[in-house]
Amino acid sequence: MRLVIGGYAQGKFSYVMERYGIQEAVVLDGTMEMTTMSQKNVVINHFHKWVKGCLEKGRNPDLMLEEFLENNPNCIIISDEVGNGIVPMEPFEREYRERLGRCLIELAKKAESVERVICGIGQKIK
Amino acid sequence: MITIIIGGSGSGKSEYAENYIMSVSEGKQKYYLATMQVYDEEGQKKINRHRNLRQGKGFLTIEQPVDIDMAVRKMEYGEKVVLLECMSNLVANEMFGGEASKKKNEVVEKIIREIHTLQENVTELVIVTNNVFEDGISYDDTTMEYLAAMGRINELLAKRADKVIEVVVGIPLIMKG
Repeated sequence: MRLVIGGYAQGKFSYVMERYGIQEAVVLDGTMEMTTMSQKNVVINHFHKWVKGCLEKGRNPDLMLEEFLENNPNCIIISDEVGNGIVPMEPFEREYRERLGRCLIELAKKAESVERVICGIGQKIK
Repeated sequence: MITIIIGGSGSGKSEYAENYIMSVSEGKQKYYLATMQVYDEEGQKKINRHRNLRQGKGFLTIEQPVDIDMAVRKMEYGEKVVLLECMSNLVANEMFGGEASKKKNEVVEKIIREIHTLQENVTELVIVTNNVFEDGISYDDTTMEYLAAMGRINELLAKRADKVIEVVVGIPLIMKG
């Protein structure tokens, strides 16, 4: 599994498609359900939205993620970084930032590589 | 030695900072300067999580929400290493703790001066600070003033620091030193 992170609108998705020369991939958008699938090239875009969706539905993202990774050990996960701001007034928004952060730390530990994208340029940090 | 550790919320900066200070603290007393004040259950949860992370690591905790140099008086004689967590709370407490909120310059000068005193009295000072600058939102004047103070303090501290480390998804990136 590879993890690609960065701020909003930094060209993360095109970076991944180019960098890994992916022509045919199953791209799951974070707004969709992350079903258990086993395909060769699975790219998950907007992972942060998936985490948010889980929390909104009262589900535990950690457990679902673990199962997904078992079935898709070679996937690429793309996520926004959302923790670099003022602590939000809204409790749910605070919870979301914190939980997404923890998910990304776990993913980063397991990942074969971690890249951070700024202005479309990827920097390998692991 | 001053080390600055910066990261966003949920970036893993605290855990990294604690492990970091463990690696430089042999034979020295470890102090944890807590700047966060608890107002509710959520704050308490956060503090408990941090306490669990520190458990068994031999830290003496000093609660110092304002006037950070006063912590020196509460320390024992001998070599000491200090983990200050975190700057964002200290700045908020200094700025908004009184009856009227203080101006940026006043807060910046006070904190920088007090950090200097603290540094002179310890072997190793590790300061955890927060990247609160990248959500692109224009807040009210008071919050913008707070952001400006935080930014200036981080800048001045980083200039004085021997090491500056950014933590991203739990991964340390060396920015200085």
